[in-house]
Amino acid sequence: MNRGNGLWRLIGITSLITTIVFICGFGFAMNDILNPRQAPSLGDLGEPEQSYVKDDVIHVTALGDSLTKGTGDSTGEGYVKQTIKLMEGKYDKPVKLLNNLAINGMRADQLVEKLKSDKGYRLAVSEADIILLTIGGNDLFRFARGGNAASKQDAAADNTAENEASSSQTDDDIEDQISLEEVKTNLAEGVGLLRQTLELLNSINPDARIVYIGLYNPFYDVAELRDGSLQVQDWNRAAYDVIHRYPNMLLVPTSDLFEKNLTRYLASDHFHPNHDGYAAIAQRIVQAID
Amino acid sequence: MSSLLPLVRNETIKVWKKKRFFVVILVLLVLIPVFTYAQMKVALNNRDKFDDWRLQLQQKITDYQNQLSSDRIPEEWKQSRRIAVQQLQYYLDHDVNPDSPNAVTFSRSFVEASITMFIPLLVLAVASDLVSGERSTGTIKMLLTRPVRRWKILLSKLIALTLYVSLTLLATIILSYLISGIFFGYGGWTLPVFTGFVIQGSEVDSSAVHAVPQWYYLFMSAGLTWLSAMTIACLALMVSVLVRSTAASIVTMMAAIIAGSILTNMASSWHTAKYIFSVNLDLTNYLAGSPPPIEGMSLLFSVSVLAVWAVAAIIVSFSVFTKQDMLN
Repeated sequence: MNRGNGLWRLIGITSLITTIVFICGFGFAMNDILNPRQAPSLGDLGEPEQSYVKDDVIHVTALGDSLTKGTGDSTGEGYVKQTIKLMEGKYDKPVKLLNNLAINGMRADQLVEKLKSDKGYRLAVSEADIILLTIGGNDLFRFARGGNAASKQDAAADNTAENEASSSQTDDDIEDQISLEEVKTNLAEGVGLLRQTLELLNSINPDARIVYIGLYNPFYDVAELRDGSLQVQDWNRAAYDVIHRYPNMLLVPTSDLFEKNLTRYLASDHFHPNHDGYAAIAQRIVQAID
Repeated sequence: MSSLLPLVRNETIKVWKKKRFFVVILVLLVLIPVFTYAQMKVALNNRDKFDDWRLQLQQKITDYQNQLSSDRIPEEWKQSRRIAVQQLQYYLDHDVNPDSPNAVTFSRSFVEASITMFIPLLVLAVASDLVSGERSTGTIKMLLTRPVRRWKILLSKLIALTLYVSLTLLATIILSYLISGIFFGYGGWTLPVFTGFVIQGSEVDSSAVHAVPQWYYLFMSAGLTWLSAMTIACLALMVSVLVRSTAASIVTMMAAIIAGSILTNMASSWHTAKYIFSVNLDLTNYLAGSPPPIEGMSLLFSVSVLAVWAVAAIIVSFSVFTKQDMLN
């Protein structure tokens, strides 16, 4: 009986106190959610931690559009991961991907915006030794801006295995969607934004090597759109205009790779490279960097 | 009132002697190390891939953004992703790591993750045979032949149950803190956590967001969890009064809880489902600022729904218990 008494006291008092604490917690939570105080100054959150990126490793940050994302590669590697593998072989040093911040359908103006304001982007850029960049494809072929066509292609590319059938519809659709006139007007604006992007990257991290992967014309085999290659070359020429001024920047051309190898190197969406196409790009990059 | 305290004492000791609470502790002792190990694997993997949590957070944001561009993902899902992106971005902008590995963060997320299924299950271990157990063993007759009013007996059971619900939750928090601390370290009490995100459609209004220390956040989530656990306890008591066998009473309650969590995951367009109690259990969602499972739900709404269910359960159990024939 005595032991029962002690047990009861222990259980009773502990659980009574906890019950009261939990009821108070509930009250405070209700109060906090229903009457949120105005945001206090967040200055007292403590010093930001020092970054602890190691020195004996080559750090790579990849930025840009679906090409950098690796859309179309059924293994998911894209050119970024393949480049890193090849670089490890070349330098005999560990090479590490800090971030692949590519977003499907990204345009140069969006990237400029991110680089200006987004802390995460700036951090990833500032800590990189090598920056891999593809941008401009969506600016030049602005039909992607409509959203529908672009995301349809992304969706198709996401699961090439399931969507083999989609390749048959591409040729006719694409001709309807692209007018070369439109591409010409997009060119000037896009190049300006590319210049801004590169300047921003250089100002955030002047020590990093910046590798810009040039555009290619995925529609070279469509007779009406073959002239698009001229615009693509104009773009690459304009990009080189900016790039050759900076000793730490490099333009890796890709247009020649794809012209005669469209069926071999393009994914079923007839726009993005497939695994082999990305492998070819990765080889180019590793050959070109010093 | 003087006759109630011995009754509560009697009920409390009875539950203890039946070793129901030991089962709860045992389950916790087995499961928390499993979750801790899984969490540690994730942390190790992240440390391997990312040198800096900010880069990892940025990658998470980018991955979410890429998911948004796919047409195959349902719109409701995209909306929750859009909200998550904005919240993560807020953390990144203010240089706060939302999941820094430490024991307090683990306990906090463990409580948040178990509010809909795990805690209710533990509560059922105690609550489900409170009345039906006595009936199947026949001891209910002994209890009722005493010169005490029936409602007092049931009330004493309800009070004892409340005490055990608190103890269960306390044990969950303490054990998850102690066990995960072995791997993650015992710090993290004062780390800032953001709360007060207001969701409007797919936009997050962060004007009311404020940082609270993590211990305060844990305190608040524990309070909210306690309320949902109490609702489950009241309902389980009712079922235990209505159903003869303990097994049937556990199955009934589990079915209701699991049905609720399935409905929640369906991002239901069936709007009246929001009046079901088990859809409303996830109160800590409102603290974290996650979008509610069904549009139009708010903290006040969920708390009211839970309260109505709990009160109705108490009324039913009392009116049935005081009139019921105890045959066997």
